[in-house]
Amino acid sequence: MNVRTIRVDDLTGMQACNLQNLPENYTIRYYLYHAMTWPSLSFVAEDHKGRIVGYILAKMEEDAGKGEELHGHVTSISVLRSYRRLGLAKKLMEQSQKAMATIYGASFVSLHVRKSNRAALNLYRDTLGFTLKATESKYYADGEDAYAMHLSLKDQGTVARTN
Amino acid sequence: MSKQLAVPAKRALPPKEGGLFKELLGYYETRSLKKGVKTADQILKKFPEHAETLCMKGLLLTHMGKREEGIDLVKKGVRLDLTSHICWHVFGLIQKGEKKYDEALKSYIQALKFDRENLNILLDAANLQVHLRIFDSLVETRHTILRLRPNVRKHWIGYALAHHLNGNPLEARKILQHYQIMVKGIPDHDVEHSETLLYLVRVHEELAEFDEALRVLDTGEQNGQIVDRTAVLEARARILSKLKSDESEAAWRVLIDYNPDSYEYYRGYLSNRGINLDDRADSEAALKILINFSTELPKAAAPRRLALNVASGDSFKDLAGTYIRSGLTRGIPSLFADLKALYRDEHKKTAVEEIVEAEHTKHAAEQSTPSEDSEPTTYLWTLYFLAQHYSHLGQYSKALGLLETALTHTPTLPELYTCKARLLKRAGDPIGAAKLLDEARLLDGQDRFLNTKCAKYMLRAGFIEQGNQILGLFTKKDAPSPGSDLEDMQSLLYLEEEADAQYQSGKLHLALKKYMAIQKLFDEVEDDQYDFHGYALRRFTITIYLNLLTWEDQLRSHPSYIKAALHASKIFIAVHDEPALAITDNSEPLTDAEKKAKKKAKKAQKAHEDPKKLTQGANANEDKGLEVPQAKDEDPDGKKLLASPDPLEMAAKFLSPLASLAPGNIDAWIALYDIAIRRKKLLQAIRALKHAKSLDPESPELHIRIIDFALRASDLPQTPPAPIGPLFTSFHSSLFPSLSPSSDSSNPFSTSKLSLETLNSQYLQKHSNSPLGILAVAKVQHRLGSPVGQVEETIFSSLGKGDSGEGLVGFNIKVASRFIEFLASIKSTRVVEYRSACAQRFELSTIFRPIEELNALRTSVVWPAPQAVSTEVKDGNTNGGVDGYIAQ
Ligand SMILES: CC(C)(COP(=O)(O)OP(=O)(O)OC[C@H]1O[C@@H](n2cnc3c(N)ncnc32)[C@H](O)[C@@H]1OP(=O)(O)O)[C@@H](O)C(=O)NCCC(=O)NCCS
Repeated sequence: MNVRTIRVDDLTGMQACNLQNLPENYTIRYYLYHAMTWPSLSFVAEDHKGRIVGYILAKMEEDAGKGEELHGHVTSISVLRSYRRLGLAKKLMEQSQKAMATIYGASFVSLHVRKSNRAALNLYRDTLGFTLKATESKYYADGEDAYAMHLSLKDQGTVARTN
Repeated sequence: MSKQLAVPAKRALPPKEGGLFKELLGYYETRSLKKGVKTADQILKKFPEHAETLCMKGLLLTHMGKREEGIDLVKKGVRLDLTSHICWHVFGLIQKGEKKYDEALKSYIQALKFDRENLNILLDAANLQVHLRIFDSLVETRHTILRLRPNVRKHWIGYALAHHLNGNPLEARKILQHYQIMVKGIPDHDVEHSETLLYLVRVHEELAEFDEALRVLDTGEQNGQIVDRTAVLEARARILSKLKSDESEAAWRVLIDYNPDSYEYYRGYLSNRGINLDDRADSEAALKILINFSTELPKAAAPRRLALNVASGDSFKDLAGTYIRSGLTRGIPSLFADLKALYRDEHKKTAVEEIVEAEHTKHAAEQSTPSEDSEPTTYLWTLYFLAQHYSHLGQYSKALGLLETALTHTPTLPELYTCKARLLKRAGDPIGAAKLLDEARLLDGQDRFLNTKCAKYMLRAGFIEQGNQILGLFTKKDAPSPGSDLEDMQSLLYLEEEADAQYQSGKLHLALKKYMAIQKLFDEVEDDQYDFHGYALRRFTITIYLNLLTWEDQLRSHPSYIKAALHASKIFIAVHDEPALAITDNSEPLTDAEKKAKKKAKKAQKAHEDPKKLTQGANANEDKGLEVPQAKDEDPDGKKLLASPDPLEMAAKFLSPLASLAPGNIDAWIALYDIAIRRKKLLQAIRALKHAKSLDPESPELHIRIIDFALRASDLPQTPPAPIGPLFTSFHSSLFPSLSPSSDSSNPFSTSKLSLETLNSQYLQKHSNSPLGILAVAKVQHRLGSPVGQVEETIFSSLGKGDSGEGLVGFNIKVASRFIEFLASIKSTRVVEYRSACAQRFELSTIFRPIEELNALRTSVVWPAPQAVSTEVKDGNTNGGVDGYIAQ
């Protein structure tokens, strides 16, 4: 599977992939917004025919106050079921983390994950080294809690910047 | 005429009201809508005909949701003072909100006539000009903006970009260079400046100024001004290769280390060495390098997988063996999907089969005498791989046997069920397939992927209601229906599957409704770009913005658009040719579930429309913006749509983008012909036929259209007037050089039935081995009035010769269904016979069983109640305040 930075013509494929994998969905416009704002933070995995089988949609948190550390945020990540356990999610995360650190000087990356999402939790905590920052009670409308997780990017080879 | 336009008396206000008017403008700026209206009313009390105040009040009212009243005032205002820039500006804003971009631009141009240097109007006009792709005027507008505000960085970029878009990259480059020299005080690591420099690199590249491009990259990186490392590395490698520099190889190598899973980087590395990954002659050289990379980068999957593409013979067997064994041991579900592409090469297919069969034998033996290192899951994944393999090759019983073994081994792996389901679907048992997917889904209720797939299979098997209920497990609970949530979320997959399913079940109105929803979706995405014209300049993300513009221009070449357009035009043609189809039966009884769903939808729809709900959480100042809110859908079932008076015009509109965006798609050109000939657009019809012919002169669908054309030409009362006449005549005689005109007609294009029949049998002779060719011939026979018996003979010839059933190549379940559909449409009495022949031919199929049996089978399916899995999120759905960001 080919892993690369997004192009504009990937966005419909990413959106289709997201709709098949996750209940948190967005219109094309939201994908466009990510691409037009942080063109180098999002990545896709594609099969031999160029079909999108996995993606990461990522951004920089811009609401951070003055003096706060700049950080990136994973809006959404998923891989089509038939392409899971190939290491794609890990590769997508790593590419995006690298870009957050080198381009924007992000000092850490944050994300939310359902408490019950074992696959994703393993990926974040065990494979990538995220740590639990907080539990956000009833973050999901069905009553499920979310884990807010962080990963420091300070070893990514750039000096982290502040707002 | 004096240059300075004097203020006309009717516009001038005494000082007090003049002050109020200024306040009014301020209130609008800050969106203090109510205060604004109050102030406007104060002025209007004394000067009820003051046009600018009327317009401003209208604008405020529109923002407050009182659209009609507001727009009336604006129009009145414009009429009262045709030389006020404020009036025209307001009018332009309203038109823009209605997405009438070209009209809005005209108003802005009017406004600019009376206030040449109004920055707000100029900026809006520039956005409209890009949106409408009027690039020469854009250059002028951007020039004016820059002249007025030379200190604003983005206006330099905007001016350069305008020249670039207008086909003048050289001018763009000069402006960017000038800007670069002039701009001062850029902080380190400034992302915006970094983007600007990368844009300059792109322009240099476009001008083939590679040395300059490289210089910008190098200095930019050294002094920390370009921060996007990926972009720098990629541009450097690309440019060095173009320059044939010694350093190019190292540059590609750096990229490979940077992301060892990007195919493009390996391609670039190899091509830099003169090696083409797709050229067999180069495969040995490529293989050597890829094997090296595999050892150097053990974590990367790409070089090992690419090596399989170029390897052959024994080295393929070795590499594939290692690759496959490792995949099976690690239990990678996607292994088959990953390797399937290699099957284009017969040798590779056989080699893969041998490798996996050997594993199978080995692990099967271990099952009875388990040893230390035998891993039971490896056996399972081996069975799974082989099942997919044989299913892919159409060896269904072998595949089913393997799946049985696997299911006994592990009854809880959803993949085994989906694999079997896909097999049954292909073998013509969609009902069995849907049932299996429901089982798979229940094994992992949290997984939306299985949920979506299950619903899709249900829709395909005609279980439309059930499919929608299943989808509803993951859609928003407060949406009127699962489908409406998916439509809001722009799910093409859902819209297509739902439309096709309705089409299949004969509910043309519901199908058409969804195909039109796809058309609307693409309109929305086209509109989406509007806000980014200004936004990208603010963000300086020009490189990707340029790609956005190109993408939007080709948006409707998307397969989903093309498919929807083709299906919708089929429906439009059907109701045009047979208007009775548009009369939908209103008395159709609803099932209980349908009733319930309807009730719920109504309730939710109400909640949606509840004005309180609409404004909840919205801006405190009640600003509803200028965009036209979505009107209530008065035709949710598409019945009015299906009965619309101008089906052909609607079809023509849906199809028209294909004329430029689908040049190689013969179905598109056939559809364009079908519509044009019915609209009596003879030139367009000729053009479409010619184009189709150039794509595939022997196409069965084209054959049908050529006969259609001859018949319709025969019916023409006379030669069409010039300039069409001569073209028509010459095209006609080029199509039918040897047709003898029938003797009893004065029409120059009349052709005898006999000669068309001859044409048809000539076509049959040529294509007697092609199922679709046979179908076309049968359709033409029927059209020419041949006896049903003869048409049936033709159709039965598709079954091949004799009982041994030497099947025709390409005679598959889909094609067989089309034959049955056609037989039914001509009311043939031999449908049952044909169905049963197909039922025998396709052993596992159920769709060819007698109708009663099939119906019984369908109604006998009992679905377990869909179990709810909770899924909603607080920040789901959201465009989470994006609009705020973009539209500032
Ligand atoms: C979560 C998800 C993105 C993982 O994608 P993936 O490409 O299969 O993950 P990777 O192959 O990169 O896995 C990396 C590691 O994550 C962990 N992991 C992934 N899937 C796992 C699973 N089903 N069970 C346990 N651990 C798992 C493992 O530690 C794995 O390393 P390993 O394969 O060496 O053991 C994918 O399962 C998915 O798309 N799920 C549905 C959508 C979703 O939940 N997205 C996350 C929302 S926060």
